[in-house]
Amino acid sequence: MSETLLYLIQQLINGLTIGSTYALIAIGYTMVYGIIGMINFAHGEVYMIGSYISFIVIAGLLGMGMVSLPLILFIALVIAVLIASTYGWTVERVAYRPLRGTNRLIPLISAIGMSIFLQNYVVLSQGSRDVALPPMISGGWTFGDPSLFEVSFSYMQLFIWVATFITMLGLTLFISRSRMGRACRACSEDLGMTNLLGVDTNRVIAMTFIIGAALAAIAGLLLSLYYGVVNPFIGFMAGLKAFTAAVLGGIGSIPGAVLGGLILGVTEALTAAYFPSEYKDVVAFSLLILILLFRPSGLLGKPEVEKV
Amino acid sequence: MKKFTRTLLSVGTALCLYGAAAQADTIKIGLAGPATGPVAQYGDMQKIGVLAAIEQINKAGGVNGMLLEGVIYDDACDPKQAVAVANKIVNDGILHVVGHLCSSSTEPASDIYEEEGVLMITAASTSPSITEKGYQMIFRTIGLDSMQGPFAAQYIINSVKPKNMAIIHDKQQYGEGLATAVKNEVEKAGIKPVMFEGVTPGDKDFSALIAKLKRNNVDFVYYGGYHPELGLILRQANAKGLDARFMGPEGVGNPDISKIAGEASEGLLVTLPQSFEKDPANQALVKAITDKGEDPSGPFVFPAYSAIEVMTAAMTATGTTDTEKLADYIRANTFKTTTGELSFNEKGDLKEFSFVVYDWHADGTKTPVQ
Repeated sequence: MSETLLYLIQQLINGLTIGSTYALIAIGYTMVYGIIGMINFAHGEVYMIGSYISFIVIAGLLGMGMVSLPLILFIALVIAVLIASTYGWTVERVAYRPLRGTNRLIPLISAIGMSIFLQNYVVLSQGSRDVALPPMISGGWTFGDPSLFEVSFSYMQLFIWVATFITMLGLTLFISRSRMGRACRACSEDLGMTNLLGVDTNRVIAMTFIIGAALAAIAGLLLSLYYGVVNPFIGFMAGLKAFTAAVLGGIGSIPGAVLGGLILGVTEALTAAYFPSEYKDVVAFSLLILILLFRPSGLLGKPEVEKV
Repeated sequence: MKKFTRTLLSVGTALCLYGAAAQADTIKIGLAGPATGPVAQYGDMQKIGVLAAIEQINKAGGVNGMLLEGVIYDDACDPKQAVAVANKIVNDGILHVVGHLCSSSTEPASDIYEEEGVLMITAASTSPSITEKGYQMIFRTIGLDSMQGPFAAQYIINSVKPKNMAIIHDKQQYGEGLATAVKNEVEKAGIKPVMFEGVTPGDKDFSALIAKLKRNNVDFVYYGGYHPELGLILRQANAKGLDARFMGPEGVGNPDISKIAGEASEGLLVTLPQSFEKDPANQALVKAITDKGEDPSGPFVFPAYSAIEVMTAAMTATGTTDTEKLADYIRANTFKTTTGELSFNEKGDLKEFSFVVYDWHADGTKTPVQ
């Protein structure tokens, strides 16, 4: 293989890894929007809280002398998902449910307020500095001619891909096969009608927030393992990128969120690869604007019909 | 009733007098810098230095019979908040400020201080453009990027002699300013950097950038910016097997970089102001700071200390707190401080300031490079 091709493969691997995690966070935005037509700006902070909890649990277990890596990751995953879901549920219950049915802008402002509150709450309780973990999963494969360009694919990257894939598969099955999933789909089609037909829509909406938060916590765990660093400000940027991914793929569409995340991640990596890396965000967001100009509802989104 | 009114009046008058007396007894010194946010540890360094200086001076009887009092303001290294802080300082009637810390905060704030006649000495902002506007009230007790950049470049040219050099910066005033200074200087010596690129502060993923460094066979990287990003770059470069040496300015030189990067921070080169805490003449002071449970080794601790020394020396010599007289005096004289003999040029910058190249270690310690 030529050097150019090897380099391209390396950048695609990098891009798909970032993209997978954008996708995981983007699903939380897209599901909530799909059902109640609201953008939950506090979602990025739930991801940040998921990262912090994973950190605290992992550091705690390592400190207690636990050595089995799969067990540590499993415990961290369960605790992070549980606590982050509780946050997701509470945020909905406290800040959004009382405002449902009012002007659309009001829950939006409430969401921004919630985001600022959660960020500052973590700053005050955990401090504002970077917290770091030692590398947990190191090593990987390398291939390609070392004299040309050596492609590296780390175990951690594979772990992220696999974890994202399994999560997505589980979510798809849940939405398409389970009773609750059917209720979710019904709500996203017509919330009022579903309510009239006897489905407890409040429960469905609460469930949506819980699922979104759980996925954000998984992303939080994966990324805190991958980068090894968290601070209270990571939620803002991650939330912004994931929101972009959701809009790019068509907000309200779950496959769209995945596709949007992957496209955004790969675009960023390829831009950094072939142009000066400071243009990374410029190109990624120009792409967003271009796609929205030609497909206002995103790649896989359904054109919105104004409900009368 | 009349009696009651009179009592009230006299109490009121007494309170007024008390207020005036309290004001005359202390000189308030504003301390502006990040107390929160990702670079709060640099704000701590400045705070440690300033508060130690105030304590020492008060212990020795204060200045012109008045005691000093430090008032802390938090700008979170955010230019918008820095402007708000500067306005608040002016409204609070404070006339003497040590700060701000981040160049991008100091620059907008210094406009306000100059206009309102507030004397400001920064102990940490190194961007040359701060003093370019011909201010009267703005000074600094630290070197400039335009001194540190060329110093780092000389070391690169004479000692590192890289084959393929890359320069990365964080697109901020401080980082990009340094990176540009290094680039200009090494180019003069015939070293053409193969890459000159920016990263976004707060980014966590540098894998694409590292693949590019690998592809260009980069063996030496100069990074202009702060430790959170460089820490992650080092960590990810190590995981990806990039075989290159890194160098950075004082913004990366604090133990947190070793917490983030772990063993990948071993061998990092850092240019820092010389370690004033190692100076035998400062040992009593170092002990006073460590006795309080604080760390005297940060690069901004002693420059912050000497900022207070310069301010108070000028107050003692002129017998006033009038900022215009103080500014004139500071420009015209030489001060003996814990960071050596300081004298200022017309712009308010130090005439001389020396840097040292350090070899960073994975445990967060450093040793000077010979």
